[in-house]
Amino acid sequence: MIRLVSLRLTFLVAVAAIASAQPSVLLDAMSQELNRNFSALKEKADPPPYFMSYEVTEQEVRSVSGTLGALTASEGGKERFLDVSVRVGSPKLDNYHRVRGERGQFTSGAPLTYEDNVNSIKRRLWLETDRAYRTAAERLIRIKTNTQVKVADEDNSDDFSTEEPAVFQQAPPKLKFDEAAWSERIRQLSARFQHYPGVLTSRVAVLCQTDTRYLVDTGGTRVEHGRGFARVVVTASAKAADGTDLSAFESFEAVDAAGLPEDKAMLAAVDRVAKDVSALLRAPEAEPFVGPAIFSGRAAGVFFHEIFGHRVEGHRQKDESEGQTFTKSVGAKVLPDFLSVVFDPTRRKIGAVDLNGWYDYDDEGVKARPVTVVDKGVLKTFLMSRSPIRGFDRSNGHGRRQPGLEVVSRQSNLLVESTNTVTEAKLRQMLIGEIKKQNKPYGLYFRDITGGFTTTQRTGLQAFKVIPVIVYRVYPDGRPDELVRGADIVGTPLASFAKILATSDKAEVFNGYCGAESGSVPVSAVSPAILVSEIEIEKKAKSQDRPPLLPEPTSMESKGDSK
Amino acid sequence: MRRLLLGAAALGAAMAWSAQEPAPAPDPMLQAMHDEIERSRKLTLSNLEAPYFIEYLIDDEENFSVTASLGGLVGRRHERFRSPEVHVRVGDYKFDNTNYTGSGFSFGTRYNLERFPLEDDYPLLRRYLWLQTDSAYKSAVEAISRKRAALRNLTAGEQIDDFAHAQPVHYIRALPRLAIDEEAWTNRVRALSAVFAQYPEVENSTVVMESSDGGFYVVNSEGTEVRARESSTYLRAQATAQAPDGMIVRDAVAFHSLDATHMPVDAELNRGLAALAENVVALAHAPKGEDYSGPVLFAGIAGAQIFAEVLGRNLALTRRPAMEQGRGAVVSASELEGRTGARVLPDSFDVVDDPTQKEWRGRPLYGSYDVDREGVAAAPLHLIEKGVLKGFLLTRQPVRGFEGSNGRARMPGNYGAATAGFSNLFIGSSETTPAAELKHKLMELCRTRDKPYGIMVRKMDFPSSAPLDEARRLLAGSPGSTHPVSIPILVYKVYPDGREELVRGLRFRGLNARSLKDILAAGDDSTVFEFMNSPAPFALIGASSFAAETSVVAPSILVDDLELHPAEEELPKLPVAPAPELVR
Repeated sequence: MIRLVSLRLTFLVAVAAIASAQPSVLLDAMSQELNRNFSALKEKADPPPYFMSYEVTEQEVRSVSGTLGALTASEGGKERFLDVSVRVGSPKLDNYHRVRGERGQFTSGAPLTYEDNVNSIKRRLWLETDRAYRTAAERLIRIKTNTQVKVADEDNSDDFSTEEPAVFQQAPPKLKFDEAAWSERIRQLSARFQHYPGVLTSRVAVLCQTDTRYLVDTGGTRVEHGRGFARVVVTASAKAADGTDLSAFESFEAVDAAGLPEDKAMLAAVDRVAKDVSALLRAPEAEPFVGPAIFSGRAAGVFFHEIFGHRVEGHRQKDESEGQTFTKSVGAKVLPDFLSVVFDPTRRKIGAVDLNGWYDYDDEGVKARPVTVVDKGVLKTFLMSRSPIRGFDRSNGHGRRQPGLEVVSRQSNLLVESTNTVTEAKLRQMLIGEIKKQNKPYGLYFRDITGGFTTTQRTGLQAFKVIPVIVYRVYPDGRPDELVRGADIVGTPLASFAKILATSDKAEVFNGYCGAESGSVPVSAVSPAILVSEIEIEKKAKSQDRPPLLPEPTSMESKGDSK
Repeated sequence: MRRLLLGAAALGAAMAWSAQEPAPAPDPMLQAMHDEIERSRKLTLSNLEAPYFIEYLIDDEENFSVTASLGGLVGRRHERFRSPEVHVRVGDYKFDNTNYTGSGFSFGTRYNLERFPLEDDYPLLRRYLWLQTDSAYKSAVEAISRKRAALRNLTAGEQIDDFAHAQPVHYIRALPRLAIDEEAWTNRVRALSAVFAQYPEVENSTVVMESSDGGFYVVNSEGTEVRARESSTYLRAQATAQAPDGMIVRDAVAFHSLDATHMPVDAELNRGLAALAENVVALAHAPKGEDYSGPVLFAGIAGAQIFAEVLGRNLALTRRPAMEQGRGAVVSASELEGRTGARVLPDSFDVVDDPTQKEWRGRPLYGSYDVDREGVAAAPLHLIEKGVLKGFLLTRQPVRGFEGSNGRARMPGNYGAATAGFSNLFIGSSETTPAAELKHKLMELCRTRDKPYGIMVRKMDFPSSAPLDEARRLLAGSPGSTHPVSIPILVYKVYPDGREELVRGLRFRGLNARSLKDILAAGDDSTVFEFMNSPAPFALIGASSFAAETSVVAPSILVDDLELHPAEEELPKLPVAPAPELVR
């Protein structure tokens, strides 16, 4: 019953969308060629395919970068990439079956004409189908031999799920980018770094993009959807006298250039980045330390993305080379009971801030939906693509990829929700209380984390490392916070989550791009600040090089008169 | 003697150039390069040696490219970039940080510089050069100490200097921005690519056009200041088809011009593309070739291609870098190394490389230039006289037997040096046979030797349009130290009655520089062959980020005693589904 209702809704939406969309030469050519190739292969090929799909990603990009008041690059282009998926065998066992960590790679992301030229489109589809089919058939034969030789997999769930076909057509708005205006803005914003002589290199860049995806499959899915991306990135670096490389970074994201903040906010970001780098130059080096800490909302978001998010990606639960931290924890408590974690690709904004990780359909044509992975501390499910795992035989719309790579389950907008919230001032008081209770000289405040990495493979150390950029020592005696440099956070996932004591009442957004098996995908992480009773930091590996031997040639500040 | 003469010639030429152009407007780039080099002479690190030589080489280019297939655009790009190379040498001309397997590696800070500024902002340019020089100096100091340590354990062989002196050159030309009608070219390339829609048997086809303008700057601590223009346009098409047994056959065609407005007109381009399509279709229907040993006629462009690949590429000497004991470095030596004064071609042959010649029979020459990428003036070089090898293409990297550049540093190289390349290579013979009679000569030879047929090659795959994996297989399949030669594309059996039959899938075995001694006859024709040369094997298209405009003018040649064999590769199956129908 429930399914029927949702199906009808999908249908209604689809009708409305089609009515407003242009007829698509590309989609038509794709479905014609899909049907023609599928029939021919089913009839003549051995083994025959049981499923095929074509996904075309159309990207139009414009970007401008500059440093210290001058442009360093101004580029743009439009491209289409083709991803072909051919499944041979059966949903029970097909060519995508993972064999001890090894995954099949069938698609090549071949360039396709970006014009609506049927000859050119169909030729490429045909050639790529033929290539993908051969690779698929070859791998299936190898897998069948392998499954006969090796012990049975612990998880013998299917290789491919059945999903309702999706029909939807809505192209994103055309890319709008005023190159002359942005060139001037980039010059002005980047020129601001001239006032910070300690900064060695700096860059301000803007990138605007539209990303349209066209998908047809033999299950009846026919989807055209997409969105825009606009991003301004501000970076700066310096080198301390002892050789340590220092850098700071800020970025703004929106769906289009018009949604990016005004100059005032951007100049403030340039100032913050420049001041952070200048302050890091004077900051003492961090010492290895274990003790209580606060993660700002943005830092906590990244922390959750790295440490938690990657471990609830569905395909890792099935892969026996993976650590499978949570595989058997469904229904069990994995986080403190005041925390819930939701992945919601349908959420486009938090307050006034655009989220980076939203989409309407995933790369397997499954409609995006919110997924509560942890409810009040208890693990409920995983992020699912169309690759089933034991207990979860359907996708929840998290099959994603960068063109040219095979889909796996990936994160979208990660939202950390808390019922144990206090004001930020109170959270700080609680930190000071912890410092005193544990009799530590100081605690830590992580303001910004740029990223990190986590090993989920069994053969590796099941640990994580995140790279904070801005870390302060917080003293219990009321001394001002002290910036330190050169610290990395290290730990093991299960131990870390148990130590979360409370959160603030204000969510912050971290927008970014996540890299994993299926490439780079846009994501967000939203979290309130969190207080942890214990975290460990270690010294960062550092460069042994000296800073530049000669002083800077001419002061950039007096640039105007030096010519 | 030769060296000294060349130096004097270069100096004379430099003075002539200065007189040619009115005093140019001050260029912030040249000024910044000059000033930062002057300042960087003082670089030292904990009392380590200061640089004895600093050079900045900056490519400043704007280019436009468009790619289409079957009437649809696949890519269109316009970009402008400046790409700097900073060369810092410590030690002295006799022994420095280069010519060592660790040279050219960055041991030091990289400073996150990203892209070089596109605007002529003097303080900013200084700043970039400052940081890059700092990196390069630290790497140089590290490299020379490692090199000294590596050599301590080895007995010194023949001592060759690490760097040759060169006369300072002052040569300033304007660097224009790219001025090309992008819309018009986009429409042309799209329309040209649709030619292949008339040939359903052609499986895959692309047409690419690329045009660039700009040039490069070279400033060094010896006083050289160069701003040289480089401008080039080409249009290239590639096509493949599949023979009934699954063999992929392919062909490519390219048109070049230093000036985009001098590119061939549409009718000529269309003819070229149609011929390409017809060749590929014909190859797909052609029978497989068989083992053959005997005379081969390289007709028309194939003659020039053989000289470009088999002779031209061996005219540059490769120096083996110093290395740690037990380490190996892949150095493919020239087949002509050590053969100076020896006969390498029949007595009637002369070979001259002349970058200063601007045109040939009214046609602009694609390989012309005045100054090379080390700021050395280029003069004509008589490389082979009466069949005897007289010299090589040289850069400022001394090689065994030769020291002193002759202005052939045309491409980036390894271990701190540049790679030498030819410019306009003229191959001439004092004894020629009318081109039309060469085929009769071939038939005659077959008759006297009782062979059922002779072989004629009309086109080689050079520069190669092979996919990367095929090029790798070809390299791996070549025995010993000989360079494999690219594969022949258009190969014909010539029967005693004059009938020609196209065959496919043949490869040469053992065709190398020595084979050229067995040239039996040269035609009275001369074909101009233009191409983008690169350090990649077979000058493989797309395999190198750098290419040098090059041309060869050469006759058809009949060569004795060559061997061909059928390719032994597993063949892909034919596609299961038939090709989609093409709509007109």
